[in-house]
Order: sequence, then C-alpha cells, then structure tokens
Amino acid sequence: MNTKHTVAVTVNGKKYTREVVGHRTLLRFLREDLGLTGTKEGCGAGECGACTVILNGKTVNSCLVLAPEADGATIETVEGEAKNGKLSNLQEAFHRNHGVQCGFCTPGMLMSVKALLKEHPKPTVDQIKEAIEGNFCRCTGYQQIIESVLDATGQLKPKTEEMRRV
Amino acid sequence: MLHEFSYLAPRERKDLLQLLKKHSGQARLLAGGTDLLCDIRLGTDKPAYLIDVKHIPEMQGITWSERDGLAIGATVTCIEIMRHPVIAKKFPLLAHAAGHIGSAQLRNRATIGGNLCTASPCADLGCSSLALGARVELASVRGTRVIPMKEFFTGVKATQLKDDEVVQRVLYPAEAAGAAWGMEKLKRIKGHDLAVVSVAIARTATWLRVGIGSCAPTPVVTADLPPQATAAAVVAAAFKVVNPIDDVRASRDFRLFMVEEFIRKLLPALA
Repeated sequence: MNTKHTVAVTVNGKKYTREVVGHRTLLRFLREDLGLTGTKEGCGAGECGACTVILNGKTVNSCLVLAPEADGATIETVEGEAKNGKLSNLQEAFHRNHGVQCGFCTPGMLMSVKALLKEHPKPTVDQIKEAIEGNFCRCTGYQQIIESVLDATGQLKPKTEEMRRV
Repeated sequence: MLHEFSYLAPRERKDLLQLLKKHSGQARLLAGGTDLLCDIRLGTDKPAYLIDVKHIPEMQGITWSERDGLAIGATVTCIEIMRHPVIAKKFPLLAHAAGHIGSAQLRNRATIGGNLCTASPCADLGCSSLALGARVELASVRGTRVIPMKEFFTGVKATQLKDDEVVQRVLYPAEAAGAAWGMEKLKRIKGHDLAVVSVAIARTATWLRVGIGSCAPTPVVTADLPPQATAAAVVAAAFKVVNPIDDVRASRDFRLFMVEEFIRKLLPALA
C-alpha cells in the first residue's frame, strides 16, 4: 500500500513533477500539492462541476480523476486565464455581465465554457446550456452566465444589454 | 478524502489478467472512475487495489467490418462513441444513448465498459445495447468468453463477471447496423439525473426489440418481435419483461405508464 507514483504534468503551460500516493485525486493534487487553489471542491462526486479542469483538451471533474491517471497530461485551470494581472476576455465578460456572484462555480464554469469555445467559437444558447449542464450555479440562475458567454463571443443583442442595465 | 488503495496501471493485457488473478476479490477495475471513485469516496466500496485498464490496447478503439460487426473496446468513452463516424452512421441509437449520459465532464470520462459493469438498472448503454442485440467479451487468465448482454446483467449492480475477469469489448452484430431507432429517457433534470424510465427501440427488416431501463433490477429487453408489430403488441411484450419498483424517483404505476407512453410515441417515428 501507499506506493508513491511520480506524476509529471503541464498545468497552464508550466511543468510540475510530484510524488503522490495512488489515492490522491487530481483535484487535491492541484490544490494541495501544486498550490493551485483556484479549482474548487464542491460535491466531490461529479455532480456539481466546481472542480472542472481541462485535461488533454477535454473537461473533466478533477474530483473523479486520480493524480496518477493524469501523469503526462496537459491541464488547464482557471489560473491560466488572467495574464499579468489582466483578466482574460472570458473573465471580463463574466465580470461585465454579472456572471459571477459568490464565485464558487466560476473556475469550473470558465473551464467548461473555454472548452466549448474551442469547438464552437460562436456558440448558440442551446450549445452554451449543454456545455454548462455539468456545472451548478446556485446564485445567478444561469441567465447572466449565458449572457456572459454571448457577450464574450460578440453575440449579445443590444436589446438584452439594455434590459440588463435597467 | 479517498479511502487508501494501491493504484496499478498495467500496460499489457497479460499483465492485467495476472494482476486480476493475483488480487482476485481485493481489486476493482478503474476505467472512467465516474461511478467507482464516488463509491470509494462514500465508503460503499473499499478495494485494496485499483487496476487502471485504460492502457490495455485490446480494450481500446472501435472497429467495424461487414463480417464481424461493430466492436467497442471497454475503455472507449461516451464522447468517443458519440463522435465516431461509423457509429453515427450505422448505430445512431448508440451514439444517441452515449450522448445523453450525465454531463459533458462525465461523458468525457465515462466508458462503455464502466457503464455496463456498474450494471445500474438505468444504464443507458445497457438498454440501448440490449435492443441492438449486443454481446459482451470477457477475458481472464482462463481464456476469453462471449456472452449475450442479456445474460451479462444478473441483478441490481450485479453481473456475471467473475473476480478474475474483465470486460474486454462490447460486440454488436452487423445485422443490427442501420436499424431504425428511437430512444426516450425520462429525467427530472437534464444532465444531472439518472433515468426514471428509459426506452430504446431498434427495428430492422427482420425484428423489432425494445430495451428498457430503470424498470427492473437490470436493464431489460423484449423478445424479438416482428418489425411490423402493433403498438399494443410491443407494449404487451415490454410489460412481460419489466417489473418496476416504487421508489423516491417514481412509482411503479408511473413507470409502467411511461413505458407505454414512450413506446406509443416512438414507434410511429422510428428513424
């Protein structure tokens, strides 16, 4: 028991190598071994999506991946968004559109949206809804999140924008 | 926090089968982990060893031939099934079923082998595969055997799989390719819920079958019916194989009602 595994990963372009036990989840690995605490633990059971990261180009619940399974992988987390203290376009859009309230779901939400935009640079509302169906938000009612994504992709209709500002 | 276990990741089939034999009864196989890691976290499963099967070449990939039909490696994920051009063209029911499991994060990880081995009564790839007449290829150091999926499921979360065995591939007969299909799944919330009732219909020129989920201890399938069977006959055949329970998600009566509703809705619209 407790055999150590070497896990070498590239997270947001930076390489890390650590020794971990087999039962370490990728989520704990990111947060506790690498100190990347942007990714959150919600339910720990693959329901809420707070821990969503992009693993080799695909979104996963990092609470349901073991760190040794991710050996050799390329991982993207919320820490990869802002550059030199400047928010990414997507983060700016969430900020502008009140897509963030308590903020706990945001890191995971951003990763699901980022993966969506790679496949569909101008997603429809239905595509946005499908992409975030594995991400719970208990504050916004999702409308502002959908609008944030529409705004980030230049699709927010002026009328909607006016209504939002009332 | 997860219960402690040793993580093993064999690279070759023969090593996997040896490990399974050696740790028989103490090991669980890890594919997508979307069910297993939840069970371990909850403490309902406390294996000493987790054997990751994702590196085994024989359990990967999707192959198709007119002679041998479709073979899907047990570690193939839902998203791979959804996006595979041959499956989209020849087994659209399967692509649909895989595309409506859980959320994107889960579909990116969950595998067909895992879905079948978890053997939940509501397994989406269970009822759809049953309708298509799938078989399951099992391997162990004792050899390889192929059994009808109908026999694979033995009860709630129970299968024929022995402690030293692994599901290697899932096989679909060539004669089921191009089957007309329809599937309906009743859920309370899209993306986060298990099916309350699911109904998958496949029809070729020679048979019609209905696979049903969440209405018996296992996913079930009707006997082969004539392709032109009336809705009443299909419903009667379905009622012979289901035996739903009352639980927090739905009553027995409601489930039976929905089985009939779905069959009557799907039958005239099979595509």
